[in-house]
Amino acid sequence: MNTSYQYSYTNIEELLEILVEKGFIAPATEQQHATVIGRRQVQSSDLAFVTVAPEAARHLILDLRDRFGFTHLVLLTAVDYIEEGKFLLTYLLHNYELHHDIGVQVPIGREAAEAGASMESIHDLWAQAGTYQRELKEMFGIDFPGSPRVDEPFILEGWDEVPPMRREFDTKQYSETTYFPRPGRSTNDPADYMRQKLYPKE
Amino acid sequence: MSLKDILSPLTVWRRTAEKPYTVIDPINDRPGAARYRGFHKNDMEACIGCGTCETICQNAAIDLVPVEGIETTNGDSGLRPQIDYGRCCWCALCVDICTTSSLTMSNEYIWVDTDPEVFRFVPGAENKPWDNSELGYSRAEGYQLLDPERVEMPELEPDTRLTSFIEMVQGYSAEQAKKEADRCVECGICMAACPAHMDIPGYIKAIRENDINGGLALMYQTNPFPASCGRICTHRCEEVCAINHTGDPIAIRWLKRYIADMADESDYQAITKTAEPERTEKVAIIGAGPGGLSAAYYLRLLGYQVTVFEAQPHGGGMLRYGIPEYRLPYDQLDKDIDLVASLGVEIKYNTRINGLKESNGPKESDGPGSDGGPAPSFEQLYQDYDAVFFSTGLPDPYTLGIQGEDHPRVISGISILEDVTAGKTPDLRKSVAVVGGGNVAMDAARTARRMGCEVTVLYRRREVDMPADEEEITEAKEEGVKFITQAIPVRIEDKPEAKGEQAAFVWGEAEMVDQGEDRRPKPVLQEDKIHTDLFDTVVPAIGQGSSLDFIPEDMAAKIGIIKYKIKVGLHGETGEPKIFAGGDISNRLKDAISAIADGHRAAKGIDRYLRENQSKKETS
Amino acid sequence: MTNAPIIPLTDNHQAGRRVDLSSGKYLKLWQGPQHPGITGNMSLELTVSGDEIVDLRTHVGYLHRGFEKLMERRTYIQNFPIVCRICVPEPDFNEYLYAATVEELAGIRVPERANWLRNLTLEMARLASFLQWIGGQTGAFGMGVIGQWGITHRDYVLDLFEELSGGRIYHMYIIPGGVRGELPEGFEERARAVLDKVENLLGDIERAMFHNAVFKDRAKGLGVIPREMIDSYGITGPNARAAGVARDVRKDQPYLLYDQLDFDVVTASGSDTYDRAWVRFQEIHQSLSLIRQMLTRMPKSGPIHTQLPNPLHWKIPAGQTYRRAECTRGEYGYYLVSDGSGYPRRVYVRGPSYTHAVALMESMAVGANIADVAGLMVSFHTYPPEIER
Ligand SMILES: Cc1cc2nc3c(=O)[nH]c(=O)nc-3n(C[C@H](O)[C@H](O)[C@H](O)COP(=O)(O)OP(=O)(O)OC[C@H]3O[C@@H](n4cnc5c(N)ncnc54)[C@H](O)[C@@H]3O)c2cc1C
Ligand code: SF4
Ligand code: SF4
Repeated sequence: MNTSYQYSYTNIEELLEILVEKGFIAPATEQQHATVIGRRQVQSSDLAFVTVAPEAARHLILDLRDRFGFTHLVLLTAVDYIEEGKFLLTYLLHNYELHHDIGVQVPIGREAAEAGASMESIHDLWAQAGTYQRELKEMFGIDFPGSPRVDEPFILEGWDEVPPMRREFDTKQYSETTYFPRPGRSTNDPADYMRQKLYPKE
Repeated sequence: MSLKDILSPLTVWRRTAEKPYTVIDPINDRPGAARYRGFHKNDMEACIGCGTCETICQNAAIDLVPVEGIETTNGDSGLRPQIDYGRCCWCALCVDICTTSSLTMSNEYIWVDTDPEVFRFVPGAENKPWDNSELGYSRAEGYQLLDPERVEMPELEPDTRLTSFIEMVQGYSAEQAKKEADRCVECGICMAACPAHMDIPGYIKAIRENDINGGLALMYQTNPFPASCGRICTHRCEEVCAINHTGDPIAIRWLKRYIADMADESDYQAITKTAEPERTEKVAIIGAGPGGLSAAYYLRLLGYQVTVFEAQPHGGGMLRYGIPEYRLPYDQLDKDIDLVASLGVEIKYNTRINGLKESNGPKESDGPGSDGGPAPSFEQLYQDYDAVFFSTGLPDPYTLGIQGEDHPRVISGISILEDVTAGKTPDLRKSVAVVGGGNVAMDAARTARRMGCEVTVLYRRREVDMPADEEEITEAKEEGVKFITQAIPVRIEDKPEAKGEQAAFVWGEAEMVDQGEDRRPKPVLQEDKIHTDLFDTVVPAIGQGSSLDFIPEDMAAKIGIIKYKIKVGLHGETGEPKIFAGGDISNRLKDAISAIADGHRAAKGIDRYLRENQSKKETS
Repeated sequence: MTNAPIIPLTDNHQAGRRVDLSSGKYLKLWQGPQHPGITGNMSLELTVSGDEIVDLRTHVGYLHRGFEKLMERRTYIQNFPIVCRICVPEPDFNEYLYAATVEELAGIRVPERANWLRNLTLEMARLASFLQWIGGQTGAFGMGVIGQWGITHRDYVLDLFEELSGGRIYHMYIIPGGVRGELPEGFEERARAVLDKVENLLGDIERAMFHNAVFKDRAKGLGVIPREMIDSYGITGPNARAAGVARDVRKDQPYLLYDQLDFDVVTASGSDTYDRAWVRFQEIHQSLSLIRQMLTRMPKSGPIHTQLPNPLHWKIPAGQTYRRAECTRGEYGYYLVSDGSGYPRRVYVRGPSYTHAVALMESMAVGANIADVAGLMVSFHTYPPEIER
């Protein structure tokens, strides 16, 4: 039983009900796509995902941290739904008392207006959030205005291609054009080869 | 700072006297562990060049290359994996998935050379020091990436089967078919073994992807009898299936049937039609068996005007009059035939082409629909059509060649099967002896069982030598057919007391005499082990021969018919340019799919012949 | 140096303060990218005043191979040999978590014996990793001999891995569906012999390292992580436990067979380099005990792998999940997203170093002495490849 926080709940379903009451997510239970706002998915008794609008995300995350006991930012990353023109940010939060995880998922436009993809920063909520946001900027091109050193390269150096974790960045093509292939390699398809050898004229 | 903390570290001084931990001569003193994932080995004889190792390698380290001394044969592409050690990470997924378990790894891990090119090599083909190493990684027992077990086919129980001619194999459900299709590794080695070279991996993939119509279209590219072949094909493809080396081969035949069963008949035409323009040339086809109809189908697709002449009242040839209904229901055969007819192929039933010299049949100008009228002669077709293809099959049963065979209680297997198809009840009575070990013998025996007879099959060699399908033998046994192997027929006698109502079958036990390597042992009669058994009916079912009397002698000479046998070219060409032949009369395998392939190739041959003719005409 | 930049300080506690490099009071110093301690290839950009650090920036990117991206274009089975490479000292956690998330989304149940074998390898990996860390920690404080013992004994554990999996470093043993092989003949005896050898060593290490005036002097009071930083910096594992935070995924969300094994969460209270080392040292003892328990209690036979669908066409139902495990350095986790195709839509690998080596290190180094930087870094037990997956 979680007692030290404002909202006490015992299981994930109950938590989701409170989030419904508070208007963060829809009461709907049917499976929708992860990028649909209001969507919820209970993956197991200790893990659920909810999808909320960008404007509501920070508020929800703060509530979860300070009022529900989700004090641990496990990770922050993005999934590229290029076919929908969206990124889905995932803030995975953990409650150390109940050992529950909740993934707060936030769809944002991949190329919103001129500004490009962008999201409110949470660097002030967790010290390591800035690192995640810096990486997201570099790897996905998602901006977090105000996040410390968000424009500094994190892993890459002198990179001027598409942010590489975006789906449209083709690693194979990149390596084929950037590096030279090793000569002397060629292969054969067994069925084609057998046709040539055994029944070329049929 | 306590004194203890200064003295305490000194208490471990004795370690200074320890021997070094390092191996002094690691190159010689430190072999890899027994399971070490070291350099690859490949058993060249066992490998079939299926390329599954190449497919799974996530580093794209493997190429399939020809190797000197390795031939491309049925079931072996002749290619072998070459591994680029500039890319390999020694994960051994290739070893785990190898369909033949030929690919393994040695525990050797030191290989020094100044030439980087040598590190791209064909394991097993280059005499490496580790080729014979006993140690190293191989797939562990109890762990296998490819499922060795075939999805079981639902079948009627033997007891139920005996009560009727209802189809015994019930077909896969969608779920079962997908699961079975999932086992395929898409190597395509089967394609060469299939006489029609069907795109087997292609249509199996269509099943996985739920694309029934796509699968059907693929099948029709090489075979217009999918519903029939999906049931009765000799499935030579399955014998060479890569998975056959590690477990049950993919049930290719049943998967073909699944597509044919699932496809909506109303979609058939749209799926199979092509956009070739109509052509004016007329082609006559004799015999509406699989060979004839296959030729008709492909010729029609190419735009030709095709007429098929068939002696019997229905099409399908031996698929209908030979194969019993419980293996191939007539409606399924009709489904295949109807599609061919629906494309505009004219089939004239009850029309037996004869060998008469002067044409007394209806003239071509009489128009179609003269089924009841006198049939045209071969000569007439030769004159009236731009090309003729015949695939008239093997209707004449071979005799046993023993004394007393003209006994009234001797009835050939083929005539029993034909009677049943025609709706007649063959006069079999109670105890039946079937002589032979091929599919005809099995069909005759199992048909007799369904008619309530007690059936014994006598075969001259061992069970392993039987040409019949293994599963047919098993099924016959399940249905209560008795087998006597190594039994050589000696003569048939008429016991006076039986008064022609029973035949006394005299047979002798055979001894299998070794004929040396690569030749199967020969059965030799043991004169001292002769038996005589009384049967109500004796059924010879040892094969059939052709009946080519409908071809006049001079024409037969031109075509190149020698002793009832025809030699044809790759595309069914005979000695006479206008005449093509195929099917059982000319091929070696004598099964439906070979006849179908013959028909397809003959269609290509005829097309080429007619186009050449046309261009000759145009240029002259 | 007139154009030297004025840099804002990175540490949150010093927000607003800036260092003017042109003032001549500061010096820039690079440590790395070659092994500051033995934490792998990353570099530390130090701004020092005298020998005191006023600012630190960590730089990664020296061994970025883009695992997460590569995984998006490989099939589920093809990713299996890749994941181990994300962490050299503890590859098995990657293998296990990758397999576990894939199995969860695919609805595959792993046979019991395979779970025991998985659990055994995870604990062996912890043992090997701790022994390697001893090498780093003592080496960074000039006590390299002890480090050699640690590395040697790690090698004995790697010998066991080699005979079990066929590889010393990248084991590729835990595969979706189960494991790739049984214990070899006589493995248990050989494993027990190695455990005894390590145990014997631990006595010496205790005397030579923990009751050593030099080590005490340098490690005590170095890099004290205040309790309130634990959650706000996402600190896990021994780094948190040494601050008195009794959290251990093996206890809190037991996976595999940890709920059937007997062990206690190790904690300390000093939260400095010495206490972190002490917690790890106790956890080495704990690992020995856990491995012994498993060798004794494991069922002696049973299936080791479940038949998977053909891996060449394997598609996994759409869904997402996250699973974590307790590696020697803290919370290791895999976030897997499937879109129903044969390729993962996204795999996110959470390594504990992501926060320990960056935000935490940048903050804790401030005020430390240059000579202590390597020791401090190792005391967080970080590993770069899991930062730049
Ligand atoms: C009992 C039995 C079981 C078999 N089981 C199998 C099996 O399981 N799987 C398999 O693949 N194969 C099987 N076969 C073989 C298969 O049926 C044949 O290989 C195939 O039918 C050959 O086709 P075809 O076109 O060459 O000749 P056929 O099918 O024999 O067709 C020839 C057609 O020509 C007609 N015809 C002949 N002469 C004339 C004429 N003068 N004028 C007009 N029409 C004429 C005939 O009436 C017949 O319809 C079996 C055969 C038999 C007898
Ligand atoms: S998978 Fe095995 S049989 Fe097939 S090509 Fe590779 S080594 Fe040969
Ligand atoms: S061991 Fe792994 S990387 Fe090497 S060839 Fe085989 S599958 Fe490819």
